[in-house]
Amino acid sequence: MLREPGSRKDISKVSGGVLWRMGIPLTARNTSSLVIDSLCDRAGEENIAVVGLYYDYLAQQEQTITNITGAIMKQLVVRGEIPKDLREAVQKGKKEFGGRGPRLADLMGMLKIAIASLPQVFICLDALDECLPRRLPELFESLRDIVQESPRTRIFLTGRPHVREDVLRYFTEAVMIPISPNPDDIRNYVEMRLNRDADLEAMSNSLRADIVRVILEKTSEM
Amino acid sequence: MESVSFRDGNTNCGNIINESFNTFNLSNEDAEIMRWLSPLEPSNRHQAVRTERFEGVGDWLLGTREFREWSSSEGGADKAVLFCSGNPGVGKTYLR
Repeated sequence: MLREPGSRKDISKVSGGVLWRMGIPLTARNTSSLVIDSLCDRAGEENIAVVGLYYDYLAQQEQTITNITGAIMKQLVVRGEIPKDLREAVQKGKKEFGGRGPRLADLMGMLKIAIASLPQVFICLDALDECLPRRLPELFESLRDIVQESPRTRIFLTGRPHVREDVLRYFTEAVMIPISPNPDDIRNYVEMRLNRDADLEAMSNSLRADIVRVILEKTSEM
Repeated sequence: MESVSFRDGNTNCGNIINESFNTFNLSNEDAEIMRWLSPLEPSNRHQAVRTERFEGVGDWLLGTREFREWSSSEGGADKAVLFCSGNPGVGKTYLR
């Protein structure tokens, strides 16, 4: 007979799966969103632009360097006037071959001009490990070009530790910060979720303590 | 006029819009330019991720000396990159 999933007797055997079901927001991806929001808040007072994107396994095919460069350009041009070069490139592209999309070299040229015309641009790219590995060298080269032309540009990257070496190959002085689940954050989050349990009375204090203890143990192993 | 939604945070920066439910009214031509540039809409994903974020989590990072130095841009081109690494199970959308 199948056991009822989520049976509370199983608490001592829980794996990280419980965390997944609880959706504990302690991930690098959430760190990215926090950094983006924090920079965007600053953008109101300081004249900075915040652009970027979240890499996603499921979108690997369409997350080409060309599409990503185009998306970043889009995030910049929506801030102000659309450059004349861009208007012309679109008109030209429409007429040729039944409608051609942008070329990377053209986009990069326009992007570098757009970035250089702003006081400071923050480029945030989340989960580099979810980018097709063969596309990473081109991405890093493009980023390096941008930084060389506009040295005030700041680049925020996240990814699994194995991407670290790739980053260092292109940016030898990159600052590295490891993200690991913080026990206080986990405890606060689990307590909050338990307090919101629909069936709070059914949970004894000892079960409650067990849940918190086991989850903290499991996350410390990650 | 064509209404194009940029309800995702990545574009909600600077003096454009600060709230996440604003829409830009772009002319047809401008909307076409946006579509031509890229089919990707990073702001949708940002909105989804930030909605799931738990208040206070990760704030420690913003307070680190490394983060503050990096974001102040005093280091110039050499110090342009900040890389945050997470182990498998941490670096995904949700822990598994």
